[in-house]
Amino acid sequence: MRGAPPARRPMIDVPPAVTLRGVKKAFPLGNGRALDVLDIEHWALPAGRCTVLTGPSGSGKTTLLNLIAGVSLPTAGTIAVHDTNVSALPEPQRDRFRARHVGYVFQTFNLLSAFTALENVMLSMMFAGAIPKAEHRRRATEILARLGLAARLSHKPQQLSRGEQQRIAIARALANHPSLILADEPCASLDAGTARGVLDALLSICRGDGTTLLVVSHEPAMLTAGDQIVDITAINRLEDPARSVERV
Amino acid sequence: MTILTVALKYLRGRFVASALTSLSVALGVSLVIASVLLSRGIKQGFIEGTTDYSLLVGAKGTPTQLVLNVVFRMDVPTPNISYRIYRGLQDDPRIEVAVPVAMGDAYQGYRYVATTGEYFAAFPWRRKTFAISDGRFFRDDPAEQPSYEAVLGADVARRTGLRVGGRFHEGEEAAEYPLTVVGILRSTGSADDRAIFISLASYWEMNEVSRKMQVKPLTAVLVRSKRMSDLPSLHRGFNVTAEAQAVFPSAVLLSIFNILSLVSDVLAIMLVVVGLVVGLYLFVSMYSATLERKREIATMRALGARRTTILGIVLLESCALAVIGSALGIAGGHGLAYLGASVLAGRGGPVANRFAVDALELVVFIGAVALGALAGLLPAVLAYRTEVAENLAPLS
Repeated sequence: MRGAPPARRPMIDVPPAVTLRGVKKAFPLGNGRALDVLDIEHWALPAGRCTVLTGPSGSGKTTLLNLIAGVSLPTAGTIAVHDTNVSALPEPQRDRFRARHVGYVFQTFNLLSAFTALENVMLSMMFAGAIPKAEHRRRATEILARLGLAARLSHKPQQLSRGEQQRIAIARALANHPSLILADEPCASLDAGTARGVLDALLSICRGDGTTLLVVSHEPAMLTAGDQIVDITAINRLEDPARSVERV
Repeated sequence: MTILTVALKYLRGRFVASALTSLSVALGVSLVIASVLLSRGIKQGFIEGTTDYSLLVGAKGTPTQLVLNVVFRMDVPTPNISYRIYRGLQDDPRIEVAVPVAMGDAYQGYRYVATTGEYFAAFPWRRKTFAISDGRFFRDDPAEQPSYEAVLGADVARRTGLRVGGRFHEGEEAAEYPLTVVGILRSTGSADDRAIFISLASYWEMNEVSRKMQVKPLTAVLVRSKRMSDLPSLHRGFNVTAEAQAVFPSAVLLSIFNILSLVSDVLAIMLVVVGLVVGLYLFVSMYSATLERKREIATMRALGARRTTILGIVLLESCALAVIGSALGIAGGHGLAYLGASVLAGRGGPVANRFAVDALELVVFIGAVALGALAGLLPAVLAYRTEVAENLAPLS
C-alpha cells in the first residue's frame, strides 16, 4: 500500500467524466402512483478527481450511483459517462459498458462467498472480457498485492477481516482498469482505524491511476481527502425525497 | 475462469446440498438402469435357457407350469406320466428324438434331473451344446443295475465344492444310495448349470415309490419331430387324451414374455414417477439455491455479468448435478443389476448376467442431463430476471 493520499487538487478546467442532464428517477408504487427520488437538472462529475457525495439518509445517493452505473435507468433525462449515453444503451451493452468502464464498491462488500479473494477479482475480469484470459491471474494477484493482500489470495471472504474484505472489493472494482469508480459508503461498516486504511488505499490507487472516484461517504477522513464535496440536496431539486409526496 | 468453473465453484460451495442432490439423481438413474438391465437379463435368460425341442409332453396341468418346471427348473413339479408314453413316442415314425426326463429331489437346493445320454447329444438343429469340463457323462445303465453316477452342472460344482470322484447324498433316507460324481459340465448359461444329472435307473432305485412301481414314472418327454408339419397333429393327439398334454415351449415362452412385458409396463410407470421425483428434488434444490443467492447474482450483474451469463451459470449447475448423478447412477445401476442377477441366479431364476454398456446408458445419461436442464430452467429464469438495484439494497 501507498502512504497518505495527496492533498485536495484544484477543480478548474477539469473535463467531466459523468454528465447528468434533466435526470429524474421515480419508483412506481402501484395503482399509478410513484415515489419521486431524484430530479437533477444538470450535474457534471470532474474526471480524475475524487468527489465525495453526502446527504441525509434516503436522499437518493445510492439511486444516483445506480443510475450512473447503469444498474437502473432514469425515468427521464440522459446520463453520459465520458461520451457514452449510458441510459440510452440497450441492457446487454450497458452491462458490458459497466463491466469495462465502471468499478462499483458496495457498503456491504458483496463478495461472492464461494470464491477466494483471487477468484473474486478474476470474476470481474471474466464478466468484462476486456483483459486477455491469460492475464487474469497475474493482474488480480498484482492488484491484491498493491492493496496488501498478497498473503490472502486463496482465502475465502468468510476467512477474512472486514477491512480485508473491503479491500478485496476495491481490488475487484479496479480489476478492469475502469475510468470511473463508484463507492457507496465503503467504510460504513468498518471501525475507524480500518476505515482509514481502506480509504487511503482507495484514494492512493485512484489518484495514482487518474481514475474518477465518486464516493458516498460521511467519514471525516473522506471528507478531508476528497477533491470536492457535493451535498446531494444541492443538486437534487426535490426538497425532501425521503418524505416526498407520492404523486398520482 | 469460465462460467463452467463458476458453476462448479458454486456447487462446491454448498457441498452437502450438492452431494445429496447428486445422490438423489444417482439413485433414480441406478433404479432405471438396474430395472432395465435386469428385465432384459431375465428375458435373455429365458431365451438362452429354453429348450431346443419343439414339443414337451407331460402330465395334465398348466403348460406354463410344465415348461417352468422341466425346462427352467422353477415352479412346483408336475405329476408324473407313465414310461409307456415315452415308449410310444420312440415308436412313433413322426418322431426324430424323444428324451425322457424325471425330476427328482434336490441336493443342497440343486434338483436331480434323471435322463438318458441323449439329453446331452448334439444334433444339427441343437443350438445348445453340452461339454464336459472334467470327467465324463454317466452311463445309460440298465434299470436293474443303477450306477448311481452323477454329472454336475457348472454352478452346482462351483457352489457345492463337489469334484469328480466325490460321493454325496441328501438326508438319511438317501444315505443308502450315495451318488458319485463322474463328470462336471461346462457352463451352458441355462438352468442345466444348476442341475444334478443322473440316470433314470439310479433315480427309480433311489425313489421309494418308483422302486416298487412296475411301470416306471417320468416327469416329461422332450420331443423333436422329423417334420414341422407333424407338430400340430402330435400336439392335438396328446391333448385329447386324459393322461398327458403336449405343449409348445416357444408358445409358453411367448406367454411368459407377455407377462414380463406387463411387469415392464408397470415398472416403466414407476420409473417415470421416480424420474419426476428426482427432477422435482433437483428443481427444489436449485430453486432454493437461487433464492439464497439473489444478492450474489445481483452483485455479479452489477459487476457486468449479462443476464444470459447468469442464466448459463444456473443451468450449468443443474446440468452438472445431473451429469455427476447420472454417471454415478450408471455405475451404481450396473452394480445393482449384477447383485440382483446374482441373487436371482442363486435362487434358480433364469437371468443372463452380461450387462455390457450400450445405447441404454447413453440414452439414460442424455435423459438425466435433459431432466437436469429442465429442472434448472425455472431457477435459471428466476436468476436471469433478478433485479440488480432491488437486491443490492444494503442489509439492515
